[in-house]
Amino acid sequence: MSEMTALERGYRRILACYPRSFLRENADELLAVLLDTAAEGQTRVGLAEAWDLVRSGVRMRLWPAAPRPRAVRAAVTLMLAGAAAELAALITVAVSFWAVRAAAARYPATMDAVLVHQVAVLAGAPLAIGLWLWLAWANGKGEDWARMLSAACFGLLTLSVLAALAQHAEADAPATMIAAAAVWAIGLASVILIFTPAACRYYGPRLAQQ
Amino acid sequence: MQEATFLILTALADGSQHGYGIITEVTQISDGRVRLRAGTLYTALDRLRADGLVAVDGEEVVEGRLRRYYRLTPEGTKVLAAEAARLQANAAAALARLRPGLAGGLA
Repeated sequence: MSEMTALERGYRRILACYPRSFLRENADELLAVLLDTAAEGQTRVGLAEAWDLVRSGVRMRLWPAAPRPRAVRAAVTLMLAGAAAELAALITVAVSFWAVRAAAARYPATMDAVLVHQVAVLAGAPLAIGLWLWLAWANGKGEDWARMLSAACFGLLTLSVLAALAQHAEADAPATMIAAAAVWAIGLASVILIFTPAACRYYGPRLAQQ
Repeated sequence: MQEATFLILTALADGSQHGYGIITEVTQISDGRVRLRAGTLYTALDRLRADGLVAVDGEEVVEGRLRRYYRLTPEGTKVLAAEAARLQANAAAALARLRPGLAGGLA
């Protein structure tokens, strides 16, 4: 019996990964299933089952189950793609940093402008990645503020692209502008998706249910 | 639909089951190939309940342990039937292309 309680204590500790609202309703039941599936004489939680519980609990915390409309799921996927695009830009600039410095040195007049651009990407991309991931997470949960913040961020993104175009960046740095246009398109598509009628029903009223 | 989800719905297709029952049924249905872990099962059940495909069908306490029973909702039955038909059609198409002469017999 004391064996059983040691195992049970182990399971209970790991169950803390789950959201409290889930545990309130399901902890006893889940614990019963865990004890039912435990091997004869098992006293400690196995690595594989601990991993399964941690993963499931964390997933449930990040994305509580609620019928998510397809539009919202697509928007979340696009936002993750946005984060991936920023990561690609970050890696490209980081890897080519010295090569670009050397190339710019041949045109001394451009040295400063190029350095500013490189530093801006290196410093800004991690922030942008974090923002994309955060918005993907919050939109997936149906947080209404995330929808508004996404729209606001997209507005800023549009302004920055327009500002770059006004400086004729497409002629000076075509690759950068293509990357910016791709990110802008991802932003546009995701913002349209989260404001579709099906998505609008998902934001808001669901919070009252929880 | 993920395979685990499909197998969970299949386990519930001919009557309600409790959590442990679903795990053993899934092992049986998949010929021992899929061994559901409790964490995976309850994440899937949580989502299936939110989507209205599965509902709670009563609970009981056996030897001091809580057992909750789950059943398919009419919507769940419909979704499972559609998915099964889709898989069957895909399998039939694959078999037909692999062995044109035998497709009818195998499918």
